Amino acid sequence: MVFIFGVNFPEQNLVKRSLETFYGIGPQVSQRIMARFHIHPTAKVGELIQPKILSINAELTNMKIENDLRRHIQDNIKRLRDMGTYRGRRHAMGLPVRGQRTRTQITTARKLNRIERDRRG
Amino acid sequence: MPSITAHASMASRNLLAAPRTASFSTSCLRFALPPKGKASQAGPPARGQKSLHLKKSARPRDTGKRPALGERKMLRKRIVLSNTNALEVHGMKDLNGKNLRAEAVKGAVVGLPEPVVDSLRAVEAFKTTQGWNMFRRPATLMRKESLQIAAFVDDVEAAVGKKTVRKIIVGDRASGKSTLLLQGLAMAFLRNWVVINIPEAKDLVIGHTEYAPLPGSNPTQYTQDAYTSNLLSQIARSNSAVLSKYCITTDHKLSILLPPSTTLAKLAELGANTPELSWPIFTALWTELTQPDRPPIMLAIDGVGHIMNNSAYLSADAQLVHAHDLALVRHFVDHLSGRTTLPNGGIVLAATSGSNQPASPALEFSIQLAEARAKNPIDLPNWNPYKTVDQRSLQSLKDVDVLKLNGLSKEEARAIMEYYAASGMLRRTVDERLVSETWTLAGNGNIGELEKGSVRLRM
Repeated sequence: MVFIFGVNFPEQNLVKRSLETFYGIGPQVSQRIMARFHIHPTAKVGELIQPKILSINAELTNMKIENDLRRHIQDNIKRLRDMGTYRGRRHAMGLPVRGQRTRTQITTARKLNRIERDRRG
Repeated sequence: MPSITAHASMASRNLLAAPRTASFSTSCLRFALPPKGKASQAGPPARGQKSLHLKKSARPRDTGKRPALGERKMLRKRIVLSNTNALEVHGMKDLNGKNLRAEAVKGAVVGLPEPVVDSLRAVEAFKTTQGWNMFRRPATLMRKESLQIAAFVDDVEAAVGKKTVRKIIVGDRASGKSTLLLQGLAMAFLRNWVVINIPEAKDLVIGHTEYAPLPGSNPTQYTQDAYTSNLLSQIARSNSAVLSKYCITTDHKLSILLPPSTTLAKLAELGANTPELSWPIFTALWTELTQPDRPPIMLAIDGVGHIMNNSAYLSADAQLVHAHDLALVRHFVDHLSGRTTLPNGGIVLAATSGSNQPASPALEFSIQLAEARAKNPIDLPNWNPYKTVDQRSLQSLKDVDVLKLNGLSKEEARAIMEYYAASGMLRRTVDERLVSETWTLAGNGNIGELEKGSVRLRM
């Protein structure tokens, strides 16, 4: 098991997949992080040497990911609502924010747009 | 009495009436409408909400045993060099250091001696796609182009370190490019040269082995420690007889202490066992090999198109790294382009691939240019300036010659078909008619197609 940013990963996991488990890290960001530390795309977590793990940890600590990012997004929505903007109102009503039609297909908006956005997504 | 009757009638009526106290029934409850819950007050389920819940049948779980780690790769890469069901071919000559260009082997099928087969296996010169598994022991046809390579070997030895032959082997798909490369390696092993072979250029550039920037290099170069240590182990295993003859002569300033009597074989093994030092040890080994009075070197690579473009590796600022910035590739390309020569002489061979070649306009154009130059050095094609091209690759291939593989001649086709028949793999009489027919169907003697049409195809 390898400890990266407070999470234990099995050694046979890909570094890319492991990084992408964090909220706020997708394909692009994981690619950039791995390029910075010269980790090849098919590297396994178990192959990383200790200094590289430490520098990845340091890098992740400086990034706005996980709960910091969730809070940031919540704050953004809250600001819109407090100002009384249309976008804020649509968030609070659980309806699409960016002018989509509401006759069909607004599942994502129903799921995500709340007064207090869910911690999950 | 009327009152009594009246009472009686009342009493009788009362008796007829259903007894109230004895009724115990659950029907009304059962037939009652379901109680109105909260959901029904809110109307039908909201859009997007799931209202139909059907249970999915559980998927049958695969309980079979999983293959062990690396087992599938081992099966995929397994090289079978012998078929006990095939007949032994009597009277087949073996290739040796002296008869590379002898009259007896010209256009004939010759066997590869056992130590050479071991060395070739160590450098991964045999490919799974080739038909080695159909015959009793590895044997190859000494075709016209093989004899050309034998002539290069002789030339290099005759010039005593003054000559470096650089060739790109090109030809149609299945025309025998990789096999020709193998023959070149076999000849080098037979003449006790040092052989360094990169069996598949693709492995270097697709980003599947670890890489690291080379400290102090500008522009940044990248070393591939895992690959280099594997290469060193291949060099040590395949050239052990030659390398153990020579000891190190200079101090290489490695971070480990080397006793002065260290042989080059030991040095290569050391690099194989310590991946973090593999690149310094590779350069040290190369310095030793290029000292005076050392044997000539055979450098070979298969699938050269892969190293003529950007690699899949990323630099620290997430830009694609050019393949020529990988230290090992750069080392090879410098020798292929003639930028660096081999002080003790040698041959640099690069084979293109017909089945696995990425688009490389630079390589394509360089091949065209080399072919035109061989025909008529005045009338050369020009690069279309409106097309994008990888300038570095174009520069590096500027004056490399091409060894073009065409189909076999009919005599060569006959020789190899007689070998097939003598091995019991072709059960027909090899006569003029059969040879001619197979040769034509194989696209004017393309050897891979010829093998497919005569040995692999069972009618």
